[in-house]
Amino acid sequence: MAPRQDSPFRSADMSMVQLYVSNEIGREVVTALGELGLCQFRDLNEDVSAFQRTFTQEIRRLDNVERQLRYFYTQMEKAGISLRKLDLDVERLSTPSTSEIDELSERSQKLEQRISALNDSYETLKKREGDLTEWRWVLREAGSFFDRAHGNVEEIRASTDDDDAPLLSDVEHNHSAPDAERSFSGMNIGFVAGVINRDRIGAFERILWRTLRGNLYMNQSEIPEPLIDPTNNEAINKNVFVIFAHGREILAKIRKISESMGADVYNVDENSDLRRDQINEVNNRLQDVQNVLRNTQATLEAELNQISQSLSAWMVLVTKEKAVYNTLNLFSYDRARRTLIAEGWCPTNDLPLIRSTLQDVTNRAGLSVPSIINEIRTNKKPPTYLKTNKFTEGFQTIVNAYGTATYQEVNPAMPVIVTFPFLFAVMFGDFGHAVIMLAAALAMIYWERSLKKVTFELFAMIFYGRYIALVMAVFSIFTGLIYNDVFSKSMTVFPSAWEFKKPDGFKDGTTVTATLNDHGYRYPFGLDWAWHGTDNDLLFSNSYKMKMSIILGWAHMTYSLCFSYINARHFKKPIDIWGNFIPGMIFFQSIFGYLVICIIYKWSVDWQAKGAEPPGLLNMLIYMFLQPGFIDKPLYPGQSAVQKALLLLAVIQVPILLFLKPYYLRWEHNRARGKGYRGIGETAHVSALDGDDETRPNGNSLDESDGVAMISQNIDEEHEEFEFSEVMIHQVIHTIEFCLNCVSHTASYLRLWALSLAHQQLSVVLWNMTLGNALATTGPLGVIMIVICFYMWFFLTIAILVCMEGTSAMLHSLRLAWVESFSKFAEFNGWPFQPFSFKSMLEESEDLTEYLAPERGCDLNCSLHDRPDSIGKHLVAAFHLEILQPHRSHQLVHRDLDSRHGDADLLDLAVGTVADRDAAHDQVGCHEMRDLLVGLFDFLASVVAVGLGVAHLGELLDGAEGALEGPFD
Amino acid sequence: MAQGYSVFIGLVVVVALCIASWFLSPKGENQVLWRSSLILSVVSCYLMWAITFLAQLHPLIEPRKALTEEFWKH
Repeated sequence: MAPRQDSPFRSADMSMVQLYVSNEIGREVVTALGELGLCQFRDLNEDVSAFQRTFTQEIRRLDNVERQLRYFYTQMEKAGISLRKLDLDVERLSTPSTSEIDELSERSQKLEQRISALNDSYETLKKREGDLTEWRWVLREAGSFFDRAHGNVEEIRASTDDDDAPLLSDVEHNHSAPDAERSFSGMNIGFVAGVINRDRIGAFERILWRTLRGNLYMNQSEIPEPLIDPTNNEAINKNVFVIFAHGREILAKIRKISESMGADVYNVDENSDLRRDQINEVNNRLQDVQNVLRNTQATLEAELNQISQSLSAWMVLVTKEKAVYNTLNLFSYDRARRTLIAEGWCPTNDLPLIRSTLQDVTNRAGLSVPSIINEIRTNKKPPTYLKTNKFTEGFQTIVNAYGTATYQEVNPAMPVIVTFPFLFAVMFGDFGHAVIMLAAALAMIYWERSLKKVTFELFAMIFYGRYIALVMAVFSIFTGLIYNDVFSKSMTVFPSAWEFKKPDGFKDGTTVTATLNDHGYRYPFGLDWAWHGTDNDLLFSNSYKMKMSIILGWAHMTYSLCFSYINARHFKKPIDIWGNFIPGMIFFQSIFGYLVICIIYKWSVDWQAKGAEPPGLLNMLIYMFLQPGFIDKPLYPGQSAVQKALLLLAVIQVPILLFLKPYYLRWEHNRARGKGYRGIGETAHVSALDGDDETRPNGNSLDESDGVAMISQNIDEEHEEFEFSEVMIHQVIHTIEFCLNCVSHTASYLRLWALSLAHQQLSVVLWNMTLGNALATTGPLGVIMIVICFYMWFFLTIAILVCMEGTSAMLHSLRLAWVESFSKFAEFNGWPFQPFSFKSMLEESEDLTEYLAPERGCDLNCSLHDRPDSIGKHLVAAFHLEILQPHRSHQLVHRDLDSRHGDADLLDLAVGTVADRDAAHDQVGCHEMRDLLVGLFDFLASVVAVGLGVAHLGELLDGAEGALEGPFD
Repeated sequence: MAQGYSVFIGLVVVVALCIASWFLSPKGENQVLWRSSLILSVVSCYLMWAITFLAQLHPLIEPRKALTEEFWKH
């Protein structure tokens, strides 16, 4: 059988393949397949721990290289050198050979040593420099203190030793100035000089005071410039201190205390000449150190600069190489350990490509042993691989956010491409807002290449959905024209079918009722503009929009239900057609299909010409169930009999839905039993390795047949024992769910009406509150007001009506797709195909983000699982927020019921029975109020939803990280 | 022009459009996508137009509003 062409209609055909590759070219083969990105390998060594696998050694080595590269990166950050980022769009890295990797590892080893040596010496030098600087400060400050102090020596002496003052005083008097400096030692006064952290000076003083009981003289001064601590590059303010005290022991004590307080004590000579020499020496040394420092720094920077050119490329290479070895670890060996055996899933249609790639690699290596690729039969469920292009990608993502479709079932994203934007447009319908949206979407598509690089999360999300926005905007333009709304105003393209005729005795403020033309002309496209701004336009548009919601809902659900037929036929399960699809369809059509026909019939009848009272359809439907056969107001002759028949038809479907499928399955099972077939309890020989086979004795995996890893596989996990009760319960649940959902889902489509009403009313309110007021004002004030109000109106229109209402409508449309539509046909039992691909790996890797130029969007035909669908996650969250407001949808139903109980049922109102009309008139004000409230509520709900969404962004991102785990992590 | 039977004219046009999109869809992997999307859009748009048209075909209520003298001036 020739393989079917892959299409977006179903997931691609998948094959389980086995690869036999010579040991020597294992790495090259995996690299080539990684570039191709079409194989998802299975783990054949599940029972082997990570440490015992074959290539753990290589991975460790690469880990080390990676660590070294990271070390370079941190060093570069420290030195403020920017990295040359790798743009994978522009550059392609050729596949490195093993020797190149070895070279890289050696080189990074050497570089690491060199850089750490440079770093060490740099730090030592920095420390030396700091010390010298401090010393210089001490010398300078203490020196100036000494110079000041010497002038007072005599007075000090005189005051302390009165007795022998004259004697010594004479002596000193005769001495020249230099000798006077000796006087401190003569007085037996010593001193300690040093530098201490400014914060500690208070404590330092206090401690000294207490230990020495005040027997000291302390002088200090602040160093005006902050000093740099070389260990952590922080600036510290320090003080120079000089402490004078009496006696050697006390001095020693002071020294100890200052050291314990973290002060640095420096040697300062009392003699000013010596001090000058010291200062000179210190200055010289400082200069030397600074020279060396500069050189070291320059060398380090040069080295890092050189590294920065190729660091990203190295990082990518190492990451790829690691991934290759991780993948190789999944493989198994033959007995002689000469051949690698791999197993995995590949798209059937891509097998030739994989085969030729293998051939190429083998030929290039010049090996005589061919690489073999072997398709094997398995009863395992293949992964779901839905190919996308840049247009379908966004749609596929919003479907995948709900779940992964079952292998080969109708891809739910197919109808979503139209239904999702269309239902959105029904709620968003406003020509003006749609044009704004279209402009934004077109701009994003036109500048696709440059906008792709924007990393701002929120924008990236919108950008990701640019094609969805485009389709939504196009449909919104259409619905806007149908609703005849342009920023809440209407257009008069065609002549109206209504005419306001001036009544006799007309006064300002008289209410005039329009009359319909009598030659059968109707407004050809959309809503007649005569309704705009009338007292009862809401009555009309509510009736119209409600009925439209029901009809569109019915069409959407019928359409979705038809896919279940296609699925059943594809999976060759005729019982699903006879037991589920047909009775379900009949049930649905005999109630809601009938309702839709009645709606259309009622529209097409000219009730006024007929002179009959038009019936209320909601009442009709309710009486159809409560009192079968009772007709309140007849819609057509024979209605009673038709309704009874339809009801009977619907009721009969319930037992068919309930019992046909389970009993058929039981009969089929028993018949198979009767013919002597048994359930496949035993293991069957399927050439698929499986780790969860516990009956297999250890170690025999290699000697079963032909030296190939043929392992028996337990397949009863797929063929479960037939159990009637389980099938029955499942079917009962399905039946109840289906019947109830027919009703509740139809009611759920009323959100189309509610949201489009809210949107329209909100834009009317916005217009009236801003521009409407301004346009009514004349004179210079009017000019100013128009300018101000225009900006207000414009920005509020974009913020509230386009962005917020758009988000809200999108979420509701999403719900209609996910719940109302998908529940009719899709199973969502699949598991995603995540091929081993370098491209997706590099895109998803969080570690590499700082090394790579940002990349957004995908090329044609890249797998939808290539990238984290964080957008999907956001949608799910936002959706749950909407779902978590059940009062909202309940409110819809409630309002529906409320209005029914009150005599102002909207459907009936529109029908406009003459008796009700006056009562309805009184209700109009009330309706408007309520609609305004609905609009406000809708707005508030959107604000809350968006706010919460932003608040939970962090959480969501964490969640997205979980999804980032690659297939071989 | 724009009489009750226009709904059927529209239907004919839409069926023609559907047939055209079925046969004119570009060949290749995405043919099914083109067909489904085009036909679905055409049908949905027709549905909406037809509903709007039918709802106004035999209206049960008339537009009614309070007018000022200005209204009659043009």
